[in-house]
Amino acid sequence: MADKGFRSFLDDLDAAGELKKVTKPVDCRQLSALGEQADQATIFENIEGYPDWRVATALVSTRKRLAVAMGCTENRIAFEFEAKSARPIDPVTVKNAPCQEVVMEGDDVDLTSIPMPLMHLFDGGPYISGTFAISNDPEHGPNVGCYRLMYRTPKETGIDLVSPSDMRFYYQRALDKGEPLPIAIAVGVHPLDMLAASYKAPIDTSELALAGGLRGEALEMVKCKTVDLEVPADAEMILEGELLPIGWTADEGPFGEFSQISGDVKWNPIFRIKCITHRKNPIFYMLQMPWENDWLAAPVTEAAGLQALRIASVQPVDIRAPVGSCGYWSLIASIKKRPGEGKNAVAALLSVAEVKFVIVTDDDIDIYNPDELDWAIAFRVQADEDAVILKGARAKHIDPSVKSWLLGKGGLPTTAKLGIDATIPEGVPKILYRRIKNYGRDRIKLEDFE
Amino acid sequence: MSPLATTLKTSLETEARQFHDVVDDHMDVPWQEFLQAWGELREIDILKRDDQGAYYIEKS
Repeated sequence: MADKGFRSFLDDLDAAGELKKVTKPVDCRQLSALGEQADQATIFENIEGYPDWRVATALVSTRKRLAVAMGCTENRIAFEFEAKSARPIDPVTVKNAPCQEVVMEGDDVDLTSIPMPLMHLFDGGPYISGTFAISNDPEHGPNVGCYRLMYRTPKETGIDLVSPSDMRFYYQRALDKGEPLPIAIAVGVHPLDMLAASYKAPIDTSELALAGGLRGEALEMVKCKTVDLEVPADAEMILEGELLPIGWTADEGPFGEFSQISGDVKWNPIFRIKCITHRKNPIFYMLQMPWENDWLAAPVTEAAGLQALRIASVQPVDIRAPVGSCGYWSLIASIKKRPGEGKNAVAALLSVAEVKFVIVTDDDIDIYNPDELDWAIAFRVQADEDAVILKGARAKHIDPSVKSWLLGKGGLPTTAKLGIDATIPEGVPKILYRRIKNYGRDRIKLEDFE
Repeated sequence: MSPLATTLKTSLETEARQFHDVVDDHMDVPWQEFLQAWGELREIDILKRDDQGAYYIEKS
């Protein structure tokens, strides 16, 4: 059995003093509000009406907890992610799996037997928010992503498949043939697996091998009971079924989005479930929005930024995807600059997925310090020379400023992107940026005079 | 249709309601029972959505 799993991560959080255990009875309608207030990851051990289940939440809703998952310090997460993702390890198939200790098939399938929470005030229903969703395409192979599921009936959920993704592409290909798309949903996997699933990898890149690289060990997979797919053996729960070939026709949402916005009703496909399997005494994972989603997104966006910079032959020193812009929409990077590379870096970072705002500085700027960033923008930027605007780039529906309601069902929005080159301009002597330094500061210490 | 599903149907025929409002009206009902009743309405495909995302049912 693999060393890294959902339960081993709970043990790691506990050892780090980052796990709260709630033993009093809790109703599913109370879970989200309670989890949001906790300053630690939380496991609810007594769920009213669901005696066999526990519920865990907010496992990676801070950078500190994400660092526990990565096994590194907080400011090295992106670099660790980049290094480990460069050494993928293919998954292996096993015959027996904890995730199949209990099997509900056919008429026995009943989603209401799972403690699905009502998470946010304006949600369209209870949600399964933290998923590791697997699909397959005859040409491109297995794909993994993260997609929310809204309860509809004991055997059906909605699934948010509006934004561009590989699964959306696979679904469209199946839909064109009038066929359903078999999928499997794992709930309760290690956060490193979730990171791999949310990585914007090229379509032929294996997220499963990426997960292995991040873990440092092969992901163990087991064949599903009713669909021709494999799922992580150590997951807490698996939903097997198919996306019905109905297109984007069923109401789904709103849902408390990773953008900190309630969102609106979307039109999406329906996921019909053929089989539910889970561990004995399973733990339901309630991914807490928005922070848990955003902190999972940040290192993926940061690593994609590092990769883009290296492809552009720019040497990065530090990079961060601010959680205020949800770990998706902004990238700030410092670089060791050679002439022209400020603009190259801006262009490279603007090419990353949904990133629509970029700042690039020299490596003398601490990009974690907002005052330093303000200083660099104030004195190294001429708006007519150092601001780069890119129009008509791919966007996400959730950004209200792209006016996606004008697009109709299934339409894809575009956006304009802004980059600021806040590096010292070519032709301006560096001596003009020499900082104030108090005379004698290195040798004269205040404590000697107290 | 179960008695609870019938109650939900009557309520949503009267006015459009957000999902959380419907939940608030039935906090005394076990969650699983509530979800099963909600699922009954979904299964017969009568739930509509308004511009605010509220659910309603058109009177037949």
